[in-house]
Amino acid sequence: MKQNSDPEWFTGDFAIDLALVRNEIGHNSDVHFREFHIGGTDVCAAIIFVEGLTDRELIDKHIIKSLMMSFTGGAVSRDFITNRVLSIGEVAEEQALKSLVAKVLTGSTALLIDGLPNALVLGTTKEKSRQIEEPVSEATVRGPRLGFTETLCDNTALLRQHGENASLSFMKLQVGQRTKKELVIAYIKDIADPDLVEEVKKRIQNIKADDVPESGYVEQLIEDNYLSPFTQVQNTERPDRVFSALMDGRVAILLDGTPFALIVPVTFSMMLHSPEDYYERWLPSYLFRLLRYLAAAISLFGPSLYISFVSFHQGLIPTKLALSIMGTRDGVPFPAIIEALIMEVTIEILREAGLRLPKQIGPTIGIVGGLVIGEAAVQAGIVSPIMVIVVALTAISSFAIPQYSAGISLRLLRFPAMFSAAVFGLYGVVLFALFLCSHLVKLKSFGVPYVSPIIPDRLTNWTDFMIRMPLKKIKRRMKPISANGSTRKK
Amino acid sequence: MLAMSGSSKDRITNLQAAVILVNYILAAGILTLPRTSVEKVKTPDVWITVIIGGLITMIAGVIIVKLSQRYPEKTFYQYSGEIVGKWIGGLLSILIIAYFFTISAYEVRTMAEVTGFFLLEGTPTWAIIMPFMWIGLYLIIGGITPLARLFEMIFPVTIIIFLLVAFLSLGIFEFNNLRPVLGLGVIPVLKGIKTTALAFLGTEVMLLLVAFMKRPEKAVKVVLIGVTVPMVFYVITVVMVIGALSIDGVTTRTWPTLELMRGFEIPGLIFERFESFLLVIWIMQIFTTFTITYYAAALGLSQLLKKDIQPFIYALLPVIYVIAMIPKNINDLFHMGDMVGNVALLLFAVLPLILLLISRLKKGGKA
Repeated sequence: MKQNSDPEWFTGDFAIDLALVRNEIGHNSDVHFREFHIGGTDVCAAIIFVEGLTDRELIDKHIIKSLMMSFTGGAVSRDFITNRVLSIGEVAEEQALKSLVAKVLTGSTALLIDGLPNALVLGTTKEKSRQIEEPVSEATVRGPRLGFTETLCDNTALLRQHGENASLSFMKLQVGQRTKKELVIAYIKDIADPDLVEEVKKRIQNIKADDVPESGYVEQLIEDNYLSPFTQVQNTERPDRVFSALMDGRVAILLDGTPFALIVPVTFSMMLHSPEDYYERWLPSYLFRLLRYLAAAISLFGPSLYISFVSFHQGLIPTKLALSIMGTRDGVPFPAIIEALIMEVTIEILREAGLRLPKQIGPTIGIVGGLVIGEAAVQAGIVSPIMVIVVALTAISSFAIPQYSAGISLRLLRFPAMFSAAVFGLYGVVLFALFLCSHLVKLKSFGVPYVSPIIPDRLTNWTDFMIRMPLKKIKRRMKPISANGSTRKK
Repeated sequence: MLAMSGSSKDRITNLQAAVILVNYILAAGILTLPRTSVEKVKTPDVWITVIIGGLITMIAGVIIVKLSQRYPEKTFYQYSGEIVGKWIGGLLSILIIAYFFTISAYEVRTMAEVTGFFLLEGTPTWAIIMPFMWIGLYLIIGGITPLARLFEMIFPVTIIIFLLVAFLSLGIFEFNNLRPVLGLGVIPVLKGIKTTALAFLGTEVMLLLVAFMKRPEKAVKVVLIGVTVPMVFYVITVVMVIGALSIDGVTTRTWPTLELMRGFEIPGLIFERFESFLLVIWIMQIFTTFTITYYAAALGLSQLLKKDIQPFIYALLPVIYVIAMIPKNINDLFHMGDMVGNVALLLFAVLPLILLLISRLKKGGKA
């Protein structure tokens, strides 16, 4: 045998091979070695498996029992053992020590038999997975109650289960240089732009990280512009959302160990869409979508507009309103910007605190915080009641955005908008808007401009943008994304 | 794949070209045109003058397009040398570059004057101008495509707000202020043509834009649409302003359109006064005009000297700033505007026609 001298390869000699494996992983307390004799013969054999990762019942009944009890004569040959003795679905041969060890550590069982040149690897993995539950971060009133789990194969299965589609393709890759993790790129073969799939693959293969614990790592390592405040990759826990994205020619990335799938490319308007938009009838969906655009605008510009009108242009608001605002601000010792900052920061702290608390205490914080903000601060004369309204409205608006990460971006950008308004008033708000737009038009997500259908250069692109036309009218996929921009229904 | 790997030349769709043209044309004129034109015409027939001015601009624009179409994928800076020789061509290009950055400075300064007057009393001009210019710089570093896309975003907002505001001012509209039509004959109407035609300045950008278009053969249509939209805007503006303020009222006000907005209040709505809306879209319109002229000037320098555009973008910024700060007051500024306008008339109404004729005679370009 040619690899005789190489310690990385099996020799075929039972004692040496076993020692080789023991040497490699024998020091681990959870690795079990079980040596025995096959059937009535004197042939030595050993199985090696990791406790907890493997299905003990399977090992006991279908490997050990078969080999020890059901072995009814015949020569101990590889073919005989695999074809007649082992009643197990997945059997493979392995020559190299390293890959054998890798497989054992992910839940397979290794079988070494004296006289056989190679080790056998038996699929005995028992997935540690939880029940499929409704996604917590993206609740909907109507729609499937399924959410992804931490197990990759469950997630791909959920996508397959969505419906029979022979074109649904999964490309498996490994990420992480020290800790290898499985990652699947999902796309619909005859819809997705092959260049896009290739680009996604290339960027993922370029990831240089020891370990990729969550898809957020992948997201940050493949995005186009890491300086931008906007997320350029969409994440979701919902299989139906992923599937409809795939049907639009986009590409999904599923990582083992996290329920959050990534979708690329993404445009700004997608951040304001919810899968429910398509499940409800078009008229309410259309109005809700408009409402979300409004909410996005408020959460971005609400406080800054208030600041600019109160501090600079009282003349531009109705006289009565101006008077009543001035009246309530009477006695507030701070300029509007400081007042707004106090309230905004308080609300952000409350939100952050509420996030970390156990579910039972969360509402308490809400009540206490609400009281403190709403009543006490006003009565103490620190802020004016109108400011409370503005800040509360802004905070609620930012939570109305279906994509959590997009909501964060807008909340973040609210602060520079406020400073800009404090310096230049309405002009400052306009400047900030122009700056933001200048940034947005330059931003791209996987080659697709971030603010894609702006004006109806193709009317068809508008059937599903700010407005959501009746489903019967949405016939085309969005042009910039799908290369094969064929009609949705054939 | 997608534009990211290829370093191919930026391209814009014909619609984007039309939007750029509209955004470029619409600028300071919205606020001042009623006054400047009424001062010349002195009758309520200004709207006819505006239409004639628009038609003339269309003709000039078509000539410019015809000229540019003879040299596909080339901007004026690149093909002018082919027509009249390297030296004269270079000189013309420099003139046009100077025109572009001067008008850019003019727009910025006008914006600063209006903003300082209506929104930020007491704020120094430099403080208003500088952040505005930085944002423009940030935008055009990205090239023509982001520019076109930003214009696409601003365009619908402008239309919606403008029509809304115009519609709301119907309340103080007096039809009698617009009569009689042609009461003093055609002569007064013709007197204002130069003024109104200058309000449509902007078609000169087609000298460069045709080279960027995906389908340059449709450029004539782009010009027609690109001039018609501002024409409708201007006609609505002068009709509404004169209708509300009468021709005597218009001439006494520096910014009649904004005065119109201040002139009415609609109780019950959250905003009783609407000049802030108009100012917001107007500042955006000035931004578009500023950026496209800024870009046109930088592009000219880079193509003339055959160097990368980036250093020119940075180098032009202080130049534009200094020019913008030259006028001492608003009268100086309007004087500067008139001067630039006269140069423009010569450069873009007369010159392209001459060049087109020469080009045809020499059988240069693409037949």
